[in-house]
Amino acid sequence: MATYPPNLSKIVDFFDALSGDEKRENLIAYADSAPACSPKAGERFDLEDVRKDEECTDTVGVFLRVDSATRAAHFRITLGPHVQTLTKAMTAILCKGLDGATPEQIMEVEQDFVPRIVGGQLVRVRSQTVYYILTRIRGVCRVWLDRERAAATSG
Amino acid sequence: MPLISSKGYLLRELLDPRAGSRRCQMANEPAGSCHNSSGVLAPGPNLAIFLHMNPKFLGYAQPEALVDGDWLQQNLSVPGVRIVESNEDVLLYDTGHIPGAVHIDWRGDLQDNTVRDYVAPEGFAEVCNKNGITPDTTVIFYGDKSNWWSCYALWAFRLFGHSKVKILDGGRDKWKADNRPLTREKPGYPRASYPVPPRRFDKKIRAFFDQTLAHAHARKPLIDVRSPREYTGELTHMPEYPQEGVLRGGHVPGARNVPWKIAANEDATFKPADELAKIYTQGLGLKPGDDIIAYCRIGERSSHTWFVLTYLLGYSNIRNYDGSWTEWGNRVRSPIAKGEQPG
Repeated sequence: MATYPPNLSKIVDFFDALSGDEKRENLIAYADSAPACSPKAGERFDLEDVRKDEECTDTVGVFLRVDSATRAAHFRITLGPHVQTLTKAMTAILCKGLDGATPEQIMEVEQDFVPRIVGGQLVRVRSQTVYYILTRIRGVCRVWLDRERAAATSG
Repeated sequence: MPLISSKGYLLRELLDPRAGSRRCQMANEPAGSCHNSSGVLAPGPNLAIFLHMNPKFLGYAQPEALVDGDWLQQNLSVPGVRIVESNEDVLLYDTGHIPGAVHIDWRGDLQDNTVRDYVAPEGFAEVCNKNGITPDTTVIFYGDKSNWWSCYALWAFRLFGHSKVKILDGGRDKWKADNRPLTREKPGYPRASYPVPPRRFDKKIRAFFDQTLAHAHARKPLIDVRSPREYTGELTHMPEYPQEGVLRGGHVPGARNVPWKIAANEDATFKPADELAKIYTQGLGLKPGDDIIAYCRIGERSSHTWFVLTYLLGYSNIRNYDGSWTEWGNRVRSPIAKGEQPG
């Protein structure tokens, strides 16, 4: 079985033990907390990626800060008002679950945890945006790692 | 029970348990009047279901197929009515819904998840039973995405012969925009005993691949309700949506492109009858009695158009091809036209 960053692993294990109704209740709770994932006043980031992709319902912004001493990544995410509830829930889950992991660890996270959290009943073609947030987070991490490598080479 | 509300709404009788089969009061008849099965004008009942008539609705072929937010908010607990939310966003109901509304999931409840088909009549009866719906229940559907999925659920109910169906004009979006009440409290209704329908009425309102192919060959009216770039073949997914597994882009030869959205206002309500007539009757040259098929990608957007043509404009012979582009675009040897012309 795949290993995940510790915070994400705890969330996956928690959801794994829930019934379908309990999963729904907890996903709603996470979705409710998604607005708290937005950047706070005064926060600074290493990378900001705000855009609306053609295959996504609304604009998603991903903000990354990596602690230079520990390489711990911290994310903030903004969501447009039209994103689906599952996407909101996954945003809050990933902000919490990937907090403190290194960019390399995040790049290696396999997406097979998503059905374990969401449950088979809720995973459907039109809910594929639950994977979208992880893809965007990885994309930002890839850019950060590329820049780090480029800086090391030029330095 | 008053038949003219304090706001001056015209209230229309829907059913009277004492009088058997009735039809609704016509606009030029006295308020509260109803015809019994013999066509005799009869007085209104003491206990009945009423709905007000939004002036816009009067222009539609079947005005009683819609309710608006004002009426619904004042009649959340009317006996014999069940409010049903049906969404694309599978968790949206759980975040808050119209008080008393139940949730019917277009995939989990209405579709067979092992065969690409709808549930069998037994499955439909069970969906109704667990939501306290009987054959006499008037089901009012609403949902997200300008009512795509509520129209889809309504259409599926019609497949099983349940004809007491309505749509909340504007759906969930307008209800919320109007700051009407939402709750997270899930209602519980006594389990019903819905008789298992003898069959599914696919023939009347549903089209399959072979029928659609024959329709195209016969050059009968065929409406592609997808976005223009899906129609031309430039896109193999709906704008703002993930790819749903279509190998080729384009449209069914002969299909005319009338995106579903043209029938809706920005607030998700349906456009007035005269505007709809311009789009479909004049724009497409549709005639009463025409044999019409509508399709999209999986049948939900075309359910919206099916509802418009059937209930709001009064076309009597329209079918929804629910296999739609995800079947047609992948099917071996199915002919495809590309570009802006029907082909």
